[in-house]
Amino acid sequence: MGKLRALFHPIMVFIGVQIAWIVLMAVWINWYLENNLAIKEFAQEIRPDLFTAEIQWLILFEGCFLMLLILAGVYVIFVYWNKQSRLNQMQSNFVASVSHELKSPLASIQLYLETLKYQDVSKEEEKDFVETMLSDTQRLSGLIDNILQSSKADPKSMALQFQPVNLGEFLEEVVQGHKRQLEEKNCLVDLKLEASPTLNLDQKALRMVFNNLISNAIRYSPVGCPLNIHLHKTGNYWEVNFADQGFGFDKKDMKKIFRKFYRVQNTDTQNIEGAGLGLFISSEIVKNHKGRLKVSSPGRGKGAIFSVLLPVSREVEA
Amino acid sequence: MNNSGKKILVVEDEVHLAKGLQFNLEREGYRVTLVDNGQSAVDILGKEDFDLMILDIMLPKLSGLEVARRIRSTDMRFPILMLSAKSADEDRELGLAAGADDYLAKPFHLPELLLRVKGILRRWEWYKEPVHDQETFQFGDSWINFASGKAKGCSGEFYLTAKEALLMKLLVSQKGNIVTREELLEKVWGYDPQTETRTVDNFVARLRKYFEKKPQSPKHIITHREKGYEFKSDPKK
Repeated sequence: MGKLRALFHPIMVFIGVQIAWIVLMAVWINWYLENNLAIKEFAQEIRPDLFTAEIQWLILFEGCFLMLLILAGVYVIFVYWNKQSRLNQMQSNFVASVSHELKSPLASIQLYLETLKYQDVSKEEEKDFVETMLSDTQRLSGLIDNILQSSKADPKSMALQFQPVNLGEFLEEVVQGHKRQLEEKNCLVDLKLEASPTLNLDQKALRMVFNNLISNAIRYSPVGCPLNIHLHKTGNYWEVNFADQGFGFDKKDMKKIFRKFYRVQNTDTQNIEGAGLGLFISSEIVKNHKGRLKVSSPGRGKGAIFSVLLPVSREVEA
Repeated sequence: MNNSGKKILVVEDEVHLAKGLQFNLEREGYRVTLVDNGQSAVDILGKEDFDLMILDIMLPKLSGLEVARRIRSTDMRFPILMLSAKSADEDRELGLAAGADDYLAKPFHLPELLLRVKGILRRWEWYKEPVHDQETFQFGDSWINFASGKAKGCSGEFYLTAKEALLMKLLVSQKGNIVTREELLEKVWGYDPQTETRTVDNFVARLRKYFEKKPQSPKHIITHREKGYEFKSDPKK
């Protein structure tokens, strides 16, 4: 079944069509050359004026041009066909991932609500369950934000509302929001602020970026791995580093990691849920702040560092 | 059934869900151990005995499907309840084919989950009861070892799947009597509304292929039209 599918891969089909086309052409040329004399004699009897001594360059050029045009046409059709089939594949992967991503927190909320309904629970347990459900709703809300944002994550259509934000205080607040998730993964956060500049930012959009980066660091790290967040100035940028000691990734993934729907696939990460949207959206948001989102990883199993670079020119008086 | 002392291994990487499951199962009197990845599940099963495993599919390191396959390669009967956000029919089939005894899609209802756990454990308890004085049950040229799941049929020795063994045991334990399709369904598959009575017929057809020289005219597993099935160890009687 796998071999059959590989045989009908767009590239294989394209190569097959081209080979068939060239073979047919070769057969026809061969037939023409073998019967050239007979055809010439026959033609001369009907239209002797058609034959001249010199080569008719214009007709030859036209023929070659036509051939090139057909080749280009086939190539364009192939490129679009390939693109479409890739998009279809991506869409079905996305739907599967998103429905899975939505169902997990939903299942947790339903479980805790039914626990409250069917079991006798103490006040403390009840409080703990409510906290858990709130954390799950926060996760659901983050995912829905990502999906909505991804549909308009285009530099031109992203309407941002800038306001002065104290970056240091804002980072502290975002980290605090992940307290429960961090505790559950036994993950200690070292938040190092070398300064706390006030920048003109879209707070809601930047919250999505920081939430995505912190959630990823937690999700893609084994239990007990620390997370270092460091805010400092680098040249013309304020840089926020999120350095984890998680699963990391290979060099080949680094270029593709910010692509829409792209997900790092290796044995450590293959079953970790995700929609492949968070980093794409984060990168687009940072770009819309005239900044950059950088990534580096020493390799698989050696963690990763995501850096948000925001231009110093965004700085305003506090 | 007394649940106290029954050990359940919950393999779930979603911390909230795992803790919620642990809380509810412990309230029902089970002893619960949590692990958050497939490899740890395989490792802990090699060291400790459990009565049931609740297994997620999407797990880090080793997927739930792979964990189930590995368990089934050495132990055909260990009860596995698969729990997954994948709810399509093909996912369900994949889970059951990998060796799950039951499959529940997320989000699920708590009472249903607890009933299914109870049902699997009840069937497991019933299965562990001896069917015969001897470990191996002999009939005609064939035999079945219900403890190991190993059997000898028309084409040599092989292993029965958990459901096949359970079905065979139920028929053997009531040999000479008609067992209704409903009883077989309830005891082997539990109260799963998605299971149809035709499933029983399909399994019986499979068992006949294993143990009957001529499956079209069976001598051991006899059909009683609109009633059920009867097992005869000695066809002459």
